[in-house]
Amino acid sequence: MSKESFLAELEGRLTGLPPSDREEWIAFYSEMIDDRAEECGDMDEAVRGIGTVEETVSRIAAETPLTTIVKERIAPKRRLRPWETVCIVLGFPVWFSLLAAAVAVIVSLYVSLWAVILSLWAAELSFAVCAVGSAAGAVSYFVSGVAAAGVMTLGAGSFLAGLAIVCFYGCVAATKGTVRLTKRMAVGVKSLLLGKERAR
Amino acid sequence: MDAQLKRGLLDACVLAAIRDGDSYGYKIIKELKPYIELSESTLYTILKRLEGAKLLTVEAAAHEGRLRKYYHITESGLQRLRDFQTEWKEVVSVYQFVVRGERHE
Repeated sequence: MSKESFLAELEGRLTGLPPSDREEWIAFYSEMIDDRAEECGDMDEAVRGIGTVEETVSRIAAETPLTTIVKERIAPKRRLRPWETVCIVLGFPVWFSLLAAAVAVIVSLYVSLWAVILSLWAAELSFAVCAVGSAAGAVSYFVSGVAAAGVMTLGAGSFLAGLAIVCFYGCVAATKGTVRLTKRMAVGVKSLLLGKERAR
Repeated sequence: MDAQLKRGLLDACVLAAIRDGDSYGYKIIKELKPYIELSESTLYTILKRLEGAKLLTVEAAAHEGRLRKYYHITESGLQRLRDFQTEWKEVVSVYQFVVRGERHE
């Protein structure tokens, strides 16, 4: 891909950014490509060194605050006509409730995801507490002279302790995975909002 | 790594890369490569942040028939680097204590 095609495609994918920001990103990447080309002596290789447009958009999305993108997306691109303003005002009960419902669904899905993680940790904590309780109970049985019940409680405690240790690693992995998923989702949403249409 | 800690480290790295003389984006990335992998977009964000904080200034100059942006460290930027060095002496001493503790285990 030539430098011009790369920059034109990139610009088209950054329509969710304010025009001044978009121009600065394009100028920055243009300079980077030129400097790479100056070193390697091949413009196409320099462009390849930057990565694909998709990868570049994802990296820019990761570095751009969501508020900047949303502000640019919702800002009217031109002065609204009177009838458009009237429609927005009259349609407010409809579009606002739909928007609020969509936001509520997304938030509830995200909260549910973390609720699962929280439940896993709660289960982990209960295993650990039960293991400690069982060990204490076993000691109490042994002291009271009820050896059979003591052995059984000690066995149950050991089983729960083992379960707690195994589940601990599972919980840590699930939490890290969810954090990674959250980051990916955030970058994905921002990349989507940055735009796919061609820059005007 | 903690995001705040990483941000402080990256800021210091970029400031250190222009401490001994003005530099440009690609050269900064190349200079930092043996120490830390920095993407173009991350560098851009850091440079903008440092420029906003007046820790560096930017000037475009002609190079091979095109304009290239050169980054120049300010007195505040140099002061930030000195502060960073002082703070990190404490961090390094804490790290050495932690590592020593592990050796004794």
